[in-house]
Amino acid sequence: MATRALLHSQDDPEPARQSPEVLDSRLALSAKGLRKRYGDGAEALCGVDFAVRKGEIYGLLGPNGAGKSTAVQILTTLLLPTDGSAQVFGRDIVRDQDAVRRSIGVALQDTGVDPLLTGFEALELQSRLYGATRRAARERAHELSSMLQLENFAHRRIANYSGGMRRRLDLALGLVHRPRLLFLDEPTTGLDPLSRNALWDLVRAVRGESGTTVFLTTQYLEEADTLCDRIAILRAGTVVAEDTPSRLKRRMRRDVIELEPEDPGQVAALLRLVRRIQPAATLEREAVRVHVSHGATIAQELLAAVAGAGIALAGLRVAPPTLDDVFLELTREDGGTDTGEEA
Amino acid sequence: MLRFLEELWLLTGRSLKVTLREPWAVIPNIGISLFFLFVYDAGLSGIAQLPAFGGVPYLAFILPVALVSGSVGGAGAAGQALIRDLESRYFTKLRLTPVSRTALVMAPMLSGMIQLVAQTVLILLVALALGLKLPGGLLAAVGVVVLAAGWGLGFAGYAVGTALRSRSGRTAQAATFIFFPLLFLSDTFVPLTLIKAGWMRVAAHVNPTTYVFDAMRSLLAHGLVAAPLLRGLAAIVALAVVTLGFAVYTAQRTLRDA
Repeated sequence: MATRALLHSQDDPEPARQSPEVLDSRLALSAKGLRKRYGDGAEALCGVDFAVRKGEIYGLLGPNGAGKSTAVQILTTLLLPTDGSAQVFGRDIVRDQDAVRRSIGVALQDTGVDPLLTGFEALELQSRLYGATRRAARERAHELSSMLQLENFAHRRIANYSGGMRRRLDLALGLVHRPRLLFLDEPTTGLDPLSRNALWDLVRAVRGESGTTVFLTTQYLEEADTLCDRIAILRAGTVVAEDTPSRLKRRMRRDVIELEPEDPGQVAALLRLVRRIQPAATLEREAVRVHVSHGATIAQELLAAVAGAGIALAGLRVAPPTLDDVFLELTREDGGTDTGEEA
Repeated sequence: MLRFLEELWLLTGRSLKVTLREPWAVIPNIGISLFFLFVYDAGLSGIAQLPAFGGVPYLAFILPVALVSGSVGGAGAAGQALIRDLESRYFTKLRLTPVSRTALVMAPMLSGMIQLVAQTVLILLVALALGLKLPGGLLAAVGVVVLAAGWGLGFAGYAVGTALRSRSGRTAQAATFIFFPLLFLSDTFVPLTLIKAGWMRVAAHVNPTTYVFDAMRSLLAHGLVAAPLLRGLAAIVALAVVTLGFAVYTAQRTLRDA
């Protein structure tokens, strides 16, 4: 597993590594060997470790079916792990469920709110279920509706809310009891870019104001890149990489060249041509993509060949790897461990 | 304990509030009960002159059928309320709070019971307007409401259990059709002595609804009489133990690892 070794390189130790006890007290969430096997024998998680530090925004990134939702459901006490253990601020997620539930706020993609309630009523009820008095619950509901810009809709039924409004309400519901750890499951899936940016700002504000730790899952690389302090990449129930987005990109140590033909019909011909020089080239949507160690040099060689073959290009990109590239590399079916290394 | 009651109250209040916001989910059920009362009383009241009725007016005889069918609806509403929350995924959201798991399952039942009591009182009032005489007075009326609520609770356990088990509105709805044999394989329209088919008599003896009908009829016609009332209560307790046990067992299984 070349990639794996590469991404967990030993030459780059964590700053200020401490003894395990001290380290533990700095953790909001820690999980060891989490495993989940469903009744039908399918293994959704195959021994996963997480260590989320207090106050950080931690992203769990993975394609559909990688086990993100299962992980979140286990960590939020909705699902029991088949094996392994996890603690939230030192409280066990299986033995001490109530304490865990009190300290976490959750906005899961697959939860909903009663559409017949108004947003305000849902917020008030949620507060009261965490033990707030009626008055405190009302105050908190006012506070959160203004913070999440829901005032104008607070007294309308949730059935009439747009997708973006529902997400904001979901976030507000997760925040009523001022949790120390907030779980967000694909918080921006299905949102337009404007609402997405607004939600990112909110998440940053929540962390900034109260030091809340955030654990989020996403399939958007951009989201992980701009929002998260550290990310873990999950593939088929296993964490294949865990680091800061910038270090993950740096550790890949490879450039990406992308060539897009003017005529989409020529993309197959272009791929054949590029593969003569770079056998590991792949087709990503309408473009031919290849990972190389010296982008500029190889690009010249490729351009000469393309010009010789008379293929007109609509686009050319030579760039350091994006998180997309890291992700595609790590989550490819074949494991993506042997592409491009030889270049 | 106080905290549990508060949670139960908050969740039940929420459930009632949304029920009132969608009254058309409940009104047909009340309508059907009243329809039973009007139609059977209007069409069959002459047979009460048969000696087997012992001089009990047919209105008092058929009223329990309307009440029991109404309480089935109220209890079914408990299952439907839970299904609504399961389908909207609000139930998952509630499971993420530190609220007692028992309160989560009991709240829709309690809200169903409150609806059912309101409905029973309404049907009783309509029957009084139609000329029902209550020799047992208010106490008998309260007794009838308690029996309807008890029977409804038993049915609510069944409805909630099947709702949790199937997690689908349609399946849970289909499961409430058990209400037909329960309601009609009994001394629904005439006293047992007038039922000639042997199998029907056996079914009526086995059916707990028969004892509930008899207890209610005895309350309506004669006031508090120990023997039929105790038999009715025993039938209700037996039913409730079985169905609530089923609901609790299913809830534990599905809430533990859903």
